[in-house]
Amino acid sequence: MTDVDEVDFEIDKDELDDTPVLEVPSDQLSLLVNDLHVSYRVFGAKKVGHGAGREWGVLDRLVRRGARQPPVREVKAVRGITFAAKHGEAIGIIGMNGSGKSTLLRAIAGLIPPAAGTVHVAGNPSLLGVNAVLMKDLTGERNIMIGALALGLTKKQVRERYQEIVDFAEIGDFVNLPMKTYSSGMGARLRFSISASAVPDILMIDEALATGDAAFRAKSKAKMDEVRQSAGTVFLVSHSLATIQSMCTRVLWVHEGRLVMDGDPKQVCVAYRDFVHARTAYKLAAAGKSPGGKKGAGKVTGKSATKR
Amino acid sequence: MVSVDQRGPGAPPTPPEPLTRVFSDESVSEAVAQNDLEQIGVRPRLGTYFKELWASRSFIQVLAVSRAESENQNTYLGQIWSLISPIINASVYVLIFGFLLKIGREGIENTIAFIVVGVFMFRFFERSVMAGAHSLNKNMNLVRSVQFPRAVLPIAGVLAELTMLGPALLVMCVISYLSGFLPVAGKVTIDAYWLLLIPAVLLMWMFSTGCAFMVARWVAMTPDLDNLLPHFLRIMMYASGVIFSVDRYLGQFSWGWLMEYQPVAVYLYLVRSSILDEPAYQPDALMWLMGVIWAVLFGVIGFLIFWGGEERYGRD
Repeated sequence: MTDVDEVDFEIDKDELDDTPVLEVPSDQLSLLVNDLHVSYRVFGAKKVGHGAGREWGVLDRLVRRGARQPPVREVKAVRGITFAAKHGEAIGIIGMNGSGKSTLLRAIAGLIPPAAGTVHVAGNPSLLGVNAVLMKDLTGERNIMIGALALGLTKKQVRERYQEIVDFAEIGDFVNLPMKTYSSGMGARLRFSISASAVPDILMIDEALATGDAAFRAKSKAKMDEVRQSAGTVFLVSHSLATIQSMCTRVLWVHEGRLVMDGDPKQVCVAYRDFVHARTAYKLAAAGKSPGGKKGAGKVTGKSATKR
Repeated sequence: MVSVDQRGPGAPPTPPEPLTRVFSDESVSEAVAQNDLEQIGVRPRLGTYFKELWASRSFIQVLAVSRAESENQNTYLGQIWSLISPIINASVYVLIFGFLLKIGREGIENTIAFIVVGVFMFRFFERSVMAGAHSLNKNMNLVRSVQFPRAVLPIAGVLAELTMLGPALLVMCVISYLSGFLPVAGKVTIDAYWLLLIPAVLLMWMFSTGCAFMVARWVAMTPDLDNLLPHFLRIMMYASGVIFSVDRYLGQFSWGWLMEYQPVAVYLYLVRSSILDEPAYQPDALMWLMGVIWAVLFGVIGFLIFWGGEERYGRD
């Protein structure tokens, strides 16, 4: 998620100072993120460029062993993001791999403490991620119990909704087998069903719709609509611009931990697509290939080949 | 790393300038008040935290039972291993310290029962501390996926150990009783004192949970401590009289009483005084008092220490 190579380690503190200060739009807010910074401690990280890029002699390496590399590195994944979300909004988050989308989501959910800045949410912050990684040694049944209880349901509620969860996930008899025997699609569907078992104030979907067939995608969309109708807010991270455009009412474009665009889905998606195309063409040209790079960049869905 | 070709296209494409904007503090607090928002990512107040924890008790229970069930799941014998392992462990100590080195026989009438009880009970403490130490790191995925009071994890880890201790206690009692029939060993009689085993184990459980809280926070903040922990526990084992009488070997020093009244030694004393008929381990009111004091002290302080780091778990 946070690829070390992708993150700029430079800290530009002075850049943060001359930022325009906005008034918060104050009607029907469900989420308020103000100047959010999130950083990770990374143990054993190497200095960028000191890896396989160059051949190092034995002596070189011995010399390099010195105190040049700190054993712990701080990776700044989110570097100052500010926005406010309203009830009933479906917000898509786009950006390249490693731009900090998932970290942003988790910080909003209160799962990763912010290094600076604040996050405020409405009412009871029962925020859900679909990445609820469950215990692979345990059966689906146990995982449903654990996951739903962790989300704040009572035992009685879990028993009532148990069948509903199993049906929604379409895993059938596999529910009695350990989760490590599941296919990735089954695992993702089960996680989504568990997350969706409690109708949350804020639902966050991280790449989940990529797994599962058309029927499941339709059901997921229905769930999203249900959350929005009960005055919740939905966040959707996806690399599929088509999905984003069809499901979201607003799109945030995150680049290197910063927000670069915020607005109408169509507008932002077009700008993002143009950027990715231009980038692909540039990289191909820089690598000395024929400049007709447009052909290879026809699709921006999935893990795009634009990374390095 | 992309090398920029001079003859290629000019500058790499850049995304639009980042939206540098910040809400003013006053307007944030105003909006927060107007929309009834709550800040997240901050440590909850102690009372609220305790209430949330109490509300998640069925989560703790299910988590503990599941953890206990999944232990040893990948073996043919399965759960039986949680009985076999301590038996083998105890046998080794009985053989080496009881019969070869004879350290475990000084001042002890029934060496086998003495060492078996010591090893079984210390194992519970040791495993509880390790479960606490790993409770956050091993469950980082859960921590980063769902919001719940993090104290659930160390509590559930120790509770899982307690569930596994249940059957082991039965085996421990049976072995102790049977060892009394051996010609070399002193008798072990079943009497009303055996009932004291239950409060002794419960006190030890509370104490272990407190320890698990502390190491959970320390290891989460400084993972290096995880490497020191096994060594520390090994020292604790020898300092607590698991396989020999503390009184006999350390009592001669001026600081020997410290070793006798340190928590782990106290709990071993309590369990032994309940089950065994050793003249040196008779039920003692002072020891029970110490047992209660240590359990409350470690339980409360451990909880406070863990709560103090609540907003930082999951950061890395």
